[in-house]
Amino acid sequence: MFDLSSRTAKLVFGVSILLIGFYLFFPIYWMVISSFKANGELYQVLPTFFPRDVTLAHYWSVFTESQLGLYLVNSLIVSGASAAINTVLAVYAGYSFAKYRYPGRQPIMLFMLSAQMFPFGLLLISLYPVLTSFGLLDTRPGLILSYIVFALPVAVYMLYSYFTQVPDELIDAARADGASDLRIFHTIVLPISIPPVVTVFLYSFMWSWNDLLYSMTLIVSEDKRTIGPGLLLTYLNETNADWGGAMAASLVVSAPIVIAFMFLQRYFIQGVTAGAVK
Amino acid sequence: MSDVTLASGRLNYPVSPHARRGGLHAVQRRVGILMLAPAAIAFAIVILYPFFQALGLSLFEDTLQSIEPTFIGLANFKAILADPETWNSFGITVIYVGGATIGTLVLGLGWALILNQPFRGRKALRALTIMPWVVPSTVSAFIWAWIFNSRFGVINGIYLELGLIDVPKAWLSTPEGALIAVILTRIWRSIPLFMAFFLAGLQNVDQEQIDAARVDGAGNWAILRDHLLPHLRPVLIVVVVLGVIGGLQDFDTIYALTGGGPVSATSVLSISVYRKAFEQWDIGMASAMGVLWVATLLPPAYFYLRLLIKKGN
Repeated sequence: MFDLSSRTAKLVFGVSILLIGFYLFFPIYWMVISSFKANGELYQVLPTFFPRDVTLAHYWSVFTESQLGLYLVNSLIVSGASAAINTVLAVYAGYSFAKYRYPGRQPIMLFMLSAQMFPFGLLLISLYPVLTSFGLLDTRPGLILSYIVFALPVAVYMLYSYFTQVPDELIDAARADGASDLRIFHTIVLPISIPPVVTVFLYSFMWSWNDLLYSMTLIVSEDKRTIGPGLLLTYLNETNADWGGAMAASLVVSAPIVIAFMFLQRYFIQGVTAGAVK
Repeated sequence: MSDVTLASGRLNYPVSPHARRGGLHAVQRRVGILMLAPAAIAFAIVILYPFFQALGLSLFEDTLQSIEPTFIGLANFKAILADPETWNSFGITVIYVGGATIGTLVLGLGWALILNQPFRGRKALRALTIMPWVVPSTVSAFIWAWIFNSRFGVINGIYLELGLIDVPKAWLSTPEGALIAVILTRIWRSIPLFMAFFLAGLQNVDQEQIDAARVDGAGNWAILRDHLLPHLRPVLIVVVVLGVIGGLQDFDTIYALTGGGPVSATSVLSISVYRKAFEQWDIGMASAMGVLWVATLLPPAYFYLRLLIKKGN
């Protein structure tokens, strides 16, 4: 887009890419190398930018001395279940908004999408007694249900904008053959919609996987604790700041979601930015 | 029967298996509503009901001491508006959201313009850029807390090496340092998303128009000002609105990084409401503060909805 043949242009481009790139990637680099440094090298006032010695001691301690394995399993169960529920709900709702016309459709849709203006923290104040009265406080199902709050609106919108692009002719042709609407949806529309559906699943998964606020408040027992509060309580208290362990644990919990997103990033960017660009 | 086919517009096949009972239109409507129902019910239970419940609670006195919540009208609001802490929290929220949104806007746009240029390694760089956005909020707080660490943090290390300070500084223990740290962390986390929006917007720039302008002697700056920025205006609005909503909603990273402190230097509205509700267990006051929080979210939410409606038509 820009002409970079002049010297000034080259310079501006080079300096910008270095500065923003440093800001974006240095913290990640710092996390990675800190997790491999031995304590003697880690706790130096003047730090080393390339580790002198590489050690796996922090990773060893993360898996043997902390409960990280347990937190990972808990997060996997809760995030997987809530993402599955969210995806199923959003798939049908998105298709309904995109391909059917009924009274109240437009207002309901806008209302659902506007849910971003309901602060998560405020909802939590009333979710807490609601879950308590159903005996769901400090249980996985309670947390799983609460996670619908985060991702459902955007998930519905992402799938809605995808389904509007599915040609009506495809559906009408199948209808003319006598197939029922649900059958058409399950056997014709869904199979060609795998990428956006996976994207929405991953998006919902990410919200729950990354959450701190809800799991910290709605889960009390240690055996059900997820990674967000688990990491915080293990590594960031006044008396014991084990930074090597904190960085190693950070890398372990980030890796799965980062890798998944790198693979699906193309669909994902399309889904999230859909509609905003035109 | 012909009425049915006419009413449904493009569905112009006269003989449908549904047409006999109640008409095709009615059946389809029922299917549509049925598909929406599960999501609508879930939405009502976990979002709508708690929301209105919280609005109602703001009119009650409901603390650890009170046995039953008692209706006290607008007394909570009076107390909150008279409390300097509230205004402090508002001010911090404005600085936090404003600073983070402007910072992300500039850097996200810059990064998108850079990644829009053809160069080797561009694809890899694009893929890597998503990282700060997808790492868990606790992790991003850890990373930045370690970078700003009072004794062994890398910022202290660099400043010492450069001779800018003589002894390590406890950045996160000073009000300004803590606020700068949470804003920097927020910007870092949001650049990837802003960049994705801008990059998508840059995809459909009319290259011929740019080439023509260049033939007319326009330099890089003129291209940016007269062609790219006007073209990106709709994206810019969306990004600002989403950025403001996201910033107002943000809780996790601030809580993990500073806990709202030192004292209440980084206590944005989300943190203040949480502290009131789940540390002091003053539900009535927390809800009242939450209602004010909703009020701050209404303008960006309104813009967001207007954009969606415009797009829908």
